[in-house]
Amino acid sequence: MKLQEYTKSRHNFEECMKCTVCTAYCPVLQANPLYPGPKQAGPDGERLRLKDPYFFNQALKYCLNCKRCEVACPSGVHVADLIQSARIKYDHTPPKLRDTLLANTDFMGKMARPFAPIVNGVTGLGITKTILDATLKIDRHRTFPKYSAPGFEYWLGRHKKEQAAFPEQVAYFHGCYVNYNYPQLGKDLVKVLNALGVGVQLLEKEKCCGIALITNGMSAQARKHAEHNVAQLRQAVLDKGLKVLTTSSTCTLTMRDEYPNLLGVDNADVRESLLMATRFIFEKLEKGATLKFKADYHKKIAYHVPCHLEKLGWGIFSVKLLSMIPGVEFILLDSNCCGISGTYGFKKENYEVSQAIGAPLFAQIKSVNPDVVACDCETCKWQIEMSTGYTVMNPISILAEAIE
Amino acid sequence: MNANEFDVIIIGGGITGAGTQRDCAMRGLRTLLIERSDIATGATGRNHGLLHSGARYAVNDAESARECIEENMILRRIASHCIDETNGLFITLPEDDLAYQQTFVESCLKSGINAEIIDPDLARRLEPSVNPELIGAVKVPDGSVDPFRLCAANMLDAKLHGGQVRLHTEVTGFIKEGDTIKGVHTHNHQNGEDVDYYAPVTVNACGIWGQHIAQMAGVHVGMFPAKGALLIFAHRVNNLVINRCRKPSNADILVPGDTVCIIGTTSTRIPFEECDNVAVTPDEVTLLITEGAKLAPSLSQTRILRAYAGVRPLVSADDDPSGRNISRGIVCLDHEVRDGLKGFVTITGGKLMTYRLMAEMATDVVCRKLGVEKACETAQVPLPGSEEPSYEEVAKKIWESPTMAQKAAAARMGTRAARIRTGDRRDEALICECEEVSVGEINAAIDRLEVSTLTDLRRRTRVGMGTCQGEFCACRAAGLLAKAHGCVARERADLEDFLQERWKGNFPIGWGDTLREAEYTQWVYKHVLGL
Amino acid sequence: MKYDTVIIGGGLSGLVAGIALQKAGQNTAIISTGQNALHFFSGTFESLKGDEQRILDLFNEAGVRLHYSPGVRLTPMGTFKESALSLEDIDLFPSPKFARKVLIVNFTGYHDFFSSFLAEGLEKEGMSCRVRFLNLPELEQLQQSPSEMRSVQIARVMDRIWEKVIQEVRVLLKDEDAVVLPQVFGLQDASVPDRIRRGIPAHVVFAGTLPPSVPGIRTLILLKQRFQLLGGTYLMGDEVVRAHTHDGVVHSVATRNLDNHYIEASNFILCTGGYFSKGLVSNPFQVYEPIFGLDVAFNEDRNAWYNPAFREDQPYMSFGVKADEHLHAMEGGKALENLYVAGTLLGGTHPEFGTAAGLAIRTALHAADQILKNVQA
Repeated sequence: MKLQEYTKSRHNFEECMKCTVCTAYCPVLQANPLYPGPKQAGPDGERLRLKDPYFFNQALKYCLNCKRCEVACPSGVHVADLIQSARIKYDHTPPKLRDTLLANTDFMGKMARPFAPIVNGVTGLGITKTILDATLKIDRHRTFPKYSAPGFEYWLGRHKKEQAAFPEQVAYFHGCYVNYNYPQLGKDLVKVLNALGVGVQLLEKEKCCGIALITNGMSAQARKHAEHNVAQLRQAVLDKGLKVLTTSSTCTLTMRDEYPNLLGVDNADVRESLLMATRFIFEKLEKGATLKFKADYHKKIAYHVPCHLEKLGWGIFSVKLLSMIPGVEFILLDSNCCGISGTYGFKKENYEVSQAIGAPLFAQIKSVNPDVVACDCETCKWQIEMSTGYTVMNPISILAEAIE
Repeated sequence: MNANEFDVIIIGGGITGAGTQRDCAMRGLRTLLIERSDIATGATGRNHGLLHSGARYAVNDAESARECIEENMILRRIASHCIDETNGLFITLPEDDLAYQQTFVESCLKSGINAEIIDPDLARRLEPSVNPELIGAVKVPDGSVDPFRLCAANMLDAKLHGGQVRLHTEVTGFIKEGDTIKGVHTHNHQNGEDVDYYAPVTVNACGIWGQHIAQMAGVHVGMFPAKGALLIFAHRVNNLVINRCRKPSNADILVPGDTVCIIGTTSTRIPFEECDNVAVTPDEVTLLITEGAKLAPSLSQTRILRAYAGVRPLVSADDDPSGRNISRGIVCLDHEVRDGLKGFVTITGGKLMTYRLMAEMATDVVCRKLGVEKACETAQVPLPGSEEPSYEEVAKKIWESPTMAQKAAAARMGTRAARIRTGDRRDEALICECEEVSVGEINAAIDRLEVSTLTDLRRRTRVGMGTCQGEFCACRAAGLLAKAHGCVARERADLEDFLQERWKGNFPIGWGDTLREAEYTQWVYKHVLGL
Repeated sequence: MKYDTVIIGGGLSGLVAGIALQKAGQNTAIISTGQNALHFFSGTFESLKGDEQRILDLFNEAGVRLHYSPGVRLTPMGTFKESALSLEDIDLFPSPKFARKVLIVNFTGYHDFFSSFLAEGLEKEGMSCRVRFLNLPELEQLQQSPSEMRSVQIARVMDRIWEKVIQEVRVLLKDEDAVVLPQVFGLQDASVPDRIRRGIPAHVVFAGTLPPSVPGIRTLILLKQRFQLLGGTYLMGDEVVRAHTHDGVVHSVATRNLDNHYIEASNFILCTGGYFSKGLVSNPFQVYEPIFGLDVAFNEDRNAWYNPAFREDQPYMSFGVKADEHLHAMEGGKALENLYVAGTLLGGTHPEFGTAAGLAIRTALHAADQILKNVQA
């Protein structure tokens, strides 16, 4: 390499031209004046932090990690990565009990699921919500996702043999949500894939992707999850030659990009084999596979691209799949953040900001008045359902519903 | 007494002049500082900003080394907000002679410099950016110093002690009666006024321009301009100063300074005519990058922000009219003793590190001439802003939980940052986002630190010194200056000058992200703003 | 994925070409690395040579109302620049003296609008000026953040409280026949500038601010909506990293996000802009085009890239990708038959198309026309 043939910096922070475009697209800035904004918190702050970690600013915790700044940046600066890396590197405040509970989604799921009816009953009670609000600072407006008693893993275990009979196989990283809260989405995926002649297997033992651990300041624990999951992916991809599919955009982004970029866990050998199921299905159809759709299916669907899917750049696959269903009136909603961002919106201190961020999206959904809102993210689903009253379905579930 | 009469006139607003004014003012003299352009525009502001431990001189120049380490320790006490106690490394690379390390350390210790040989592994851990191939490392108490801040703090303290300052004012001639200098004729470049000032003693503290001033006074001081070119990288790659442990040579010091780091320097004799407009050549740029990458390999792939050059005032030893025999030490000339010219003193040579000592020597001569017997206190009394040991302490005392911008202000202003806590939120608005400079800090500088132009403002606040080189902040700050000075037309021209001055340092390294930024700045100012 | 045409670069050129193609029934995708130079748009097309009516129509159909009226526009620094075509809310005056007395209104604490420079500039042209500041409690939340009293954030508030601005300006207005306001109106709601004009009994002039440009973002939103409504696909935040070219024909491109999922098309338009947007990349040794490695016209001697005077035209800004008269990109001295080049990427090598925004639009239309002509043939 010749001297100065190209220059590089961590997360490209020196490619920042200070053009301020990112600040125009940051949803938090519009709602929370305490947040210094992506440019200040990211590339501007980085130069000062390199001088002395003392210049680290606690207000970086208000970043949603929605990555909209990165999508908007004309210079390819990994603004959100800079902010989250700074939090990992410099913020040593021990996480609160509440944050620890919220962050450990799989632990919570494991503990709660056997007692699902009781837990669901209790967390749904007004009095419990008031107590959670007062003691743990989990906002009372929030409805806890319901826990499902027999998990998805258990269900698929019972169908192992018939799945193994399909000529083509994929592995499925279902994530905490499908296993503990909403196994139906997993079942829907199995239905669609089976219709394409593809059988579904589990990874030997998956762990939560760890995004909530990262955003709640538990990066060491997150790194352990990452190392475990990458080993699991290697087993599926390298040993068994399988693609690994997901139905959650956030789990996907975390495992593909946050692992190497924020946690320093290398996944280069498996990264390209980890796909959103929508992409896998689209590519299959593009190569000639077919799905048989119901003749009488009619639905007006408003599709919201979750922030992390927008960052992945894969919203296009959901758009194409949904709009190819005969009888679907498809509306692509404007690119906006719903405001929940995983556990962020659950915190009492963030509730108002969270709702203010989501307001334009909610307003558009109400004006479109669809039969159903489609979205590939479970936390967006909670937020949109709570804030608008419209039902939200994963595109995979819509496909499952629309095929014979 | 006439308003234009003083005890002493100091010509030159570099660190030597400002330091001399402070010392004189603290000893009770009525002082006037005259500077042709702005403070720290000569060699003061055009070097590494290295707080020398003296180690660099230890082998060849024990006297300079001793002066450096003594002044180094003094500056830590009196100028805490201008310096960064980073420590430094002298590294030996495979192509260097490791035997030199022993000579080096022994010489350091002899001069009182705490030099400690450390394991190369430890060096790599202490300074991850260092060339990993190093075979030897010595740790020394180097650091960095912000020369603009140091100069401004000296000037401010002189003012607090009753001193007066005339910047952008050029000395056009001397008022001479017989064999005595009685005062100076001046011309103000901004308002066009010509004014005479009188004092029984005038100090020539003009660095390389001192030869010209001396000549105007009728005496000869032989000087030799030596250009040194340097590069500023856009962020700090190192947190310890990195030097080569060998005979001093080109581009062998990398200094972390504030939010950037600086590699330098070269050394080329240039003719006097070039002193006012030194340019960095492509060859110098290549040399600096090549040699710099040997100290810290990542420099070969780090964005460069600026190239600049300064002129060292080398003085020929007084007994050698040929000029071949150069003195790198301090030269303090009482021209009454040397040339029979009364009321005229030249202080020159030396270095940024020894400015205080130079000022003390010059002030001693001035006081002797004026019959003033007051001891020098500049080594004990902290500069305004340096009353606390660290910016952490400063910020903690001013704000309950300081923001990043407030912390940055505390780091730049020291205890003077208390001035910007006005309770008015609008004063917190950021003008320069790269360096986190607020309206309050800019107004504080305009109020107390003799700011006429945007470039002056930059030297005092770092406005426009960041990555974008004034892309947005220049016109915002111009708005504030126009308001303060009440002259928009002048500010419009000033804004153009400022952008020109930034471009001058950008184009010698105009490629990659720096060229992208330049294109954007062109676009913003020419097409969008219509300048 | 297959498209008729893939446009690389989602700025003004890309959108204009995309709309023209999509309108003609071409299935088109735009791939954009991030947001674009419309964020720094002055709102006027400084040099446009021909095609005025067609451009007016194309923008009007997207809801971007333009007006053609050769004259001068008021710049943010209070100077005047010649222009022929501009957004409707940006005035083009026959001569600089557009009023007798002018009231310039700014917001307290807003440093990105240069009221004092404007006043001085207008006074130089013989207009008497008064500068006043509005202190709106609705902007207080923005002021809590030291870096967010900026155009876009203010514009979001103004979309809500424009009626109040009218009232406040009416109170300030004495006998002035013109009012100058910052361009912070009509970000989401394009009708706001017009409403302001109707509500204030004097001629209202909107003068520019520091970027981001509110009229520019509004233009972008409307053009992008139009493109998508016509059925176009806009891939935002993605970047073309590789291209498959064979025998002078581009077959497909790969992007960072879609990695091994190649996007195929019959035709490609490259409008990735200049240095800022990395359409051109420079290092100490050369200027190059990073995606296709196209031929770039530049001076081999780096010393000749710059003019040491900032105010003069800079030679490096005239460097650009080489293209034939139909705007086919050149590679190794030969034209690639289905790759067209448009916009700033062409540098100053095609002066017949004008400069900046004018060049962007006219070359984009020209490239789209070539594609459509070939399809019909």
